[in-house]
Amino acid sequence: MGIEMQYFMEGLSSALQPINLLWVLVGGFLGTIVGMLPGIGPATAIAILIPITFGMNPTSALILMAAIYYGAMYGGSRSSILLNTPGDGSAIAATFDGYPMARNGMAGQALTISAIASFIGGILGTIGFIILAKPLAEFALKFGPAEYFLLFLFALSATVSLSKDHMVKGFIAMMLGLMLSTVGIDRQTGVHRFTFDIPQLSEGIDFLVVIIGVYAVSEVLYNYLNLDWIKNKNKLGRLWITKEQWKRSKWPIFRNVPIGFLIGVLPGAGGAIASMLSYTMERQLSKEPERFGKGAIEGVAAPESSNNAASVGAFIPMLTMGVPGSGTTAVILGALIMLGIRPGPLLFEHNPDMVWTFINSMLVGNIFLIIINILLIGLLVKILDTPPRILYPLILILAFIGTYTLSYSVIDFFILIIFGIIGLLMKLLHFPIAPLILAVIVGSEMEQNFRKSLIAYDGVLDILLASPITVTLCILTILSIIYPFMLSWLKNLKTHQA
Amino acid sequence: MARLMMPIFFITLSAVYLILTFGLTRSKVGDPNGPLYFPALIGIVLLVLSVIYFVQEWKKRAEEVTEFKPLRGNVLILIVATLLLSLLYTLVFERLGYLISTILFLGCLLFIVNGPKKWLQNVIIAVIFSFVSWFSFAKLLSISLP
Repeated sequence: MGIEMQYFMEGLSSALQPINLLWVLVGGFLGTIVGMLPGIGPATAIAILIPITFGMNPTSALILMAAIYYGAMYGGSRSSILLNTPGDGSAIAATFDGYPMARNGMAGQALTISAIASFIGGILGTIGFIILAKPLAEFALKFGPAEYFLLFLFALSATVSLSKDHMVKGFIAMMLGLMLSTVGIDRQTGVHRFTFDIPQLSEGIDFLVVIIGVYAVSEVLYNYLNLDWIKNKNKLGRLWITKEQWKRSKWPIFRNVPIGFLIGVLPGAGGAIASMLSYTMERQLSKEPERFGKGAIEGVAAPESSNNAASVGAFIPMLTMGVPGSGTTAVILGALIMLGIRPGPLLFEHNPDMVWTFINSMLVGNIFLIIINILLIGLLVKILDTPPRILYPLILILAFIGTYTLSYSVIDFFILIIFGIIGLLMKLLHFPIAPLILAVIVGSEMEQNFRKSLIAYDGVLDILLASPITVTLCILTILSIIYPFMLSWLKNLKTHQA
Repeated sequence: MARLMMPIFFITLSAVYLILTFGLTRSKVGDPNGPLYFPALIGIVLLVLSVIYFVQEWKKRAEEVTEFKPLRGNVLILIVATLLLSLLYTLVFERLGYLISTILFLGCLLFIVNGPKKWLQNVIIAVIFSFVSWFSFAKLLSISLP
């Protein structure tokens, strides 16, 4: 424990260095803004900011990207409450009672309680990170190639199965991502694969270009469908919450932290699912469920503490095992790999300073975010008046600059445009995006582990049965695939009985 | 029948991918088939999935395709125009240099998206944003732009 404390203090002083402090503030502020703006999420923001991280040391880059991620959790609920339009998926639950509160003239109080809930979720989530990350990293040290291959498989299939209604499409998206990762010179043997004698392809398709294309370009094109945002007409009213309101929110906030956190740790699930689940649970636990949907303050508090805890939890599998569980953490992983950092169990042994600076930056970042989200709310609300017709063209330009800085070649622009179109088609045809991005990023690592385990074991069956861990992962993978079917089967059964 | 286009596309894609996979040069080091295993696995799984997708859509073949409905009129024009401008930008980017090509690209883009009525606003934003971004990337982050 003594050593941990020492690391903690060193991390704190490093997080408080002016340059790191600056990145936390910039990231938190930017995250709040992109979280607020409908149509732009943290993944898009991080994707277009990747070039800025190039000149930075990896620790600062991680701090910046993480701050954008959890900052967006704060910002998302601003537009949910004021406009009834969630800034992103994890803010949907905040519309249920947040908007009715705003209609009742309590917008300010709704904004305050959601910021407080987010803060508590973020801080307690960070403490959860400290408790859970190290043991998990030590556990992951036992993983061999077979375990890693199956872990990747589980993470991917869990991400797919959460796109419920479109499972087949999700798996197709995942296969497309894996396919893209096989283009280029094979890392083990030097064989050219699917390069069609085009020299630029021998290095492989840069996954960062794919990310920027799918998350920025196609996002801009898709948002053309909805160019005129609703204007905020709700008055903020009182910001300070009453004792009665705090009493109602207190327990919902605290009991949903562990729920959100654990859902965040699981691959596939994330803030959106965490906040929905917390909302539903609070309504079921409530003695007056009829208040929900009409402006119940605990209906705003519960999902907000939950999604912030989830955003912290999501860093655990990404940093301790190199397995991202969501689109946003996948993008962050991609950027870190580009900077020469391979997250995994050894990160905690080789770069404890980085890990502890990151942890402390989250504590600092959350303090900063609660301040700006309550005190500067009047200013933030003005951002919602940004005309999207100007914003989207600017995002497009940033996407092009970002792509150019990756390898200083306009060839990448073609790839960028192609993936912009692919992303748009996928959105229109209801193909989920996250499995594609995850697969593109982990694909090559997954293949290496697959081939290493083929050498180590005799056949595919031996890989699956290699150790208790592989068996567990197999069962989890199968469960994640059949679980949605079981749910709908159970539902059918119930309706038949009724 | 338009519903079957996507599944057929994926079946073709996986077939072509599998053919290319088995046509790969064999490796001279280690297992000669080493580079093939993973792509072969992907190809086969994608083929199976595409067939399932085909069957799913086949059952709904009489239903109208509604997925592209949002792309009516103005939206479609905006998207196509943006893509064409992006292509033009790609072609002139290195010849005209970052500043000039970006001012032109952004100017045209704003003209289309933000509307010709606000031309003054568009011109000012295009020029200022191009300069500021050029300055911050080229000078502050020392990223060399053409």
